Amino acid sequence: MSQKEFSVYMSGVGGQGLVLLSNIIGAACAASGIRALTGEQHGLSQRSGSINVHMRIGEGMASPLIPIGGADAQLALEALEALRYVEYLKPGGVVMMNSRIQHPVVETAAHVKDKTAKYMSAEVVKERMSQVTDKIALIDALSIANQAGNPLTENMVMLGAISTLEAFPVPEEALKQSVRDHVPSKAVDVNLKAFDMGRKVAYDLLCNIVKCRQ
Amino acid sequence: MGVADVLKEGPGKAFMLCNEAIVRGALEADVKIVSAYPGSPTTEILDTFSEISPKFDYRMEISTNEKVAIETCAGASMVGMRSMTSMKSVGMNVASDSFFSLSYTGVKGGMVIVMADDPQAHSSQTEQDGRPFGPNSYTPMLEPSDPEEAKRMVRAAFALSEKYGVPVLLRTTTRVNHQSGIVSLEKMDRKPFAKLAWDHPPGRFVTVAESARNFKHALLERTKKIEEEFEASEFNRIVDAGSDVGIIASGAGYNYAVDAAKILGIKPSILKLGTTYPLPKELIAGFLKKLKTVIIVEELSPYLELYVTAIAKDANPAVKIYGKWSGHFSEALEYNPNLVVEGLAKALGLKMPVEYGAILAKAKELKAGLPDRWPTFCPGCPHRATLHALLDATRGMKHILSTDIGCYSMSFLDPLRYGDSLLSMGACLGVAAGMQYAAQEKVIAMIGDSTFWHAGMPGLVNAIHHGDDLTLVILDNEVTAMTGQQPNPGRDYNAGGRAAKPLVLEEVIKAMGITDITIVDPYQVKAAVNPMREALTRKGPNIIISRRACALYADRNKRKRGEVIDTNKVDPEVCKRPYSCVKSFYCPAISIDDGDRKAIITKELCDRCDVCAKLCPYGSIKRREGE
Repeated sequence: MSQKEFSVYMSGVGGQGLVLLSNIIGAACAASGIRALTGEQHGLSQRSGSINVHMRIGEGMASPLIPIGGADAQLALEALEALRYVEYLKPGGVVMMNSRIQHPVVETAAHVKDKTAKYMSAEVVKERMSQVTDKIALIDALSIANQAGNPLTENMVMLGAISTLEAFPVPEEALKQSVRDHVPSKAVDVNLKAFDMGRKVAYDLLCNIVKCRQ
Repeated sequence: MGVADVLKEGPGKAFMLCNEAIVRGALEADVKIVSAYPGSPTTEILDTFSEISPKFDYRMEISTNEKVAIETCAGASMVGMRSMTSMKSVGMNVASDSFFSLSYTGVKGGMVIVMADDPQAHSSQTEQDGRPFGPNSYTPMLEPSDPEEAKRMVRAAFALSEKYGVPVLLRTTTRVNHQSGIVSLEKMDRKPFAKLAWDHPPGRFVTVAESARNFKHALLERTKKIEEEFEASEFNRIVDAGSDVGIIASGAGYNYAVDAAKILGIKPSILKLGTTYPLPKELIAGFLKKLKTVIIVEELSPYLELYVTAIAKDANPAVKIYGKWSGHFSEALEYNPNLVVEGLAKALGLKMPVEYGAILAKAKELKAGLPDRWPTFCPGCPHRATLHALLDATRGMKHILSTDIGCYSMSFLDPLRYGDSLLSMGACLGVAAGMQYAAQEKVIAMIGDSTFWHAGMPGLVNAIHHGDDLTLVILDNEVTAMTGQQPNPGRDYNAGGRAAKPLVLEEVIKAMGITDITIVDPYQVKAAVNPMREALTRKGPNIIISRRACALYADRNKRKRGEVIDTNKVDPEVCKRPYSCVKSFYCPAISIDDGDRKAIITKELCDRCDVCAKLCPYGSIKRREGE
């Protein structure tokens, strides 16, 4: 496969704006003359369930689904949802995950029964995933989104983070334009701010372990 | 992506969801009548048509059910207008009664039916394969693999429909509908909407007895001609690699086959079939003649495999056919690239280039203890409160719960595990009727408002007429919530926000002959219990209506009005850890602190339905102020 191809496995919890995120990337690709395709989830699973989007960028692929071991990167809006799909990551691939955990109701149900039960933490997820790659950035997207001015912009923080990767073939300006095109006009500024803050945090957390754009 | 791209002036390119590309294709083809009932994976077709309808002059209805939707399109196309409907696999079953007759009578204006199957049953009761609807009804069927092809096929389907006077099926699957990709936009050449004159002789669309027999002969002739046309269709493509190994594939399977061949480093010849009924038998025969081995890559039933095997008997009896019958592929679940890699490798005796098994085994080890995250009721969902109240009201009461299709279906999932049967839209009533004859326990049927309008009414008429002893709980959340809060006959608007006459549930039911109707507000989760219990102890048939708007719908309306959505928090000084807010409630916004083991409410998730506050015996849950 050519250098320009890039597959990113994106996951999160229903309601976090994952499909919007993939739309923004896809539209930026269309505007930049880059081919992109996705396999998305809509319907039942969106109800606070685990959701995923297979995002493939480049000329060569026909399948909207990424094969196992085929993702150059994983982008997770919630830490447990990174681990849930770890089989898709290429060995040594890049993982960008939100340190935020949304505890699944079945896990809370277990807490009622067993007073010593502990939730799985983002640190445990990172430790587990470090067995397949050493390129993991744990990003506190919620606090960054809050600093940007809106907790709902976690997805933009993560978009900013992935945009720093040298291997990610979509130009930054095209992504920003796509953000402007896709979010309500009064929310553009806060979304772009979250995007920029996501870029900045990636330079601090990610670019010492992965090749980033200058 | 999104409505803006659907509306964009052509020519141009856009990143589109396949369902949007289908709408775009229909707009380019000057569709005039649209009618559908929502159902995943087709819902975005309806949603897109609805959202943009104020900008166009096509007439649109969000129908009561799929049968009415297909009939609405049929009527318009009989007159001479172009029409489109879309439905999920099981919706097609509802529509099929009229669908079969429609192939006999035919239509005048082009009519396209999008029929979407759901391999893997992502959002469906079954993994139904709708393709046999094509041959069974003699309806031509096109099957795209991606958004670009879907858009082109929609345009071609309208032309084909008008040329032969027959409705055309566009058959998709979830991974086609919910695939986004780059789509070429053409010019939208739309003529103004104008009513047409009925110009048919009497009986033109009447099919029964003698006329049915005449129609049958005509449709066989028609199918023969369409098959001849499909032999040269642009949608059936051969990539002749000069190999004696070939792949025959369609739909999503084609995408995986192309990538799998690449992963394996092989160059087979590929026949991509886009017209899957009637199949181009000569084209398939010609393809088979050059091969020693052919592998069929198709999801669900061995539909193509059956035809290919039959065609090979004369065309090339020596060709080795690999597919589902040979055990290389399964009839269960959807395919993906690695499954197809494995199937091809096994069939061709190739070494696996990637050890998927080892990767999966490692992943399983890493995921030890990772909690499942099944879909569940949203924070603020009235269903969660209704189910809590219902469980309270039935405490000590042996009963069977016959449930139905909607968000409330999720009650059978962990951790609630509540609900005993679920078959199809509206089935809770018929099933409950049978149960009350046969079972010793109290029988409760449960249905949502949209499903009640869709297919619940005949079941209720039946129960009333026969005096069946059952209680029907109607969860009235105002909208068709599961598919994205579309309006149903209970609302005062329909597609595109156009005004519509709202029907009132209890008035309709009273008119049917039941006066024992109890209406509760699930947010008053404690106060609802006694009236529910009393209703459940009375002889049926009787009705409980639990009425409260879908939280997502209510929130959207609040945001539109500029209202702030409040949240609650737990006062740790007051919390004595009874876990009343967790048990039988299980709101995703509530968790338990690993340290002090007290409940916590996540601000970003809470909707302040305030139900958990009512459940807490110590009053520890209060409105969050000034944060």
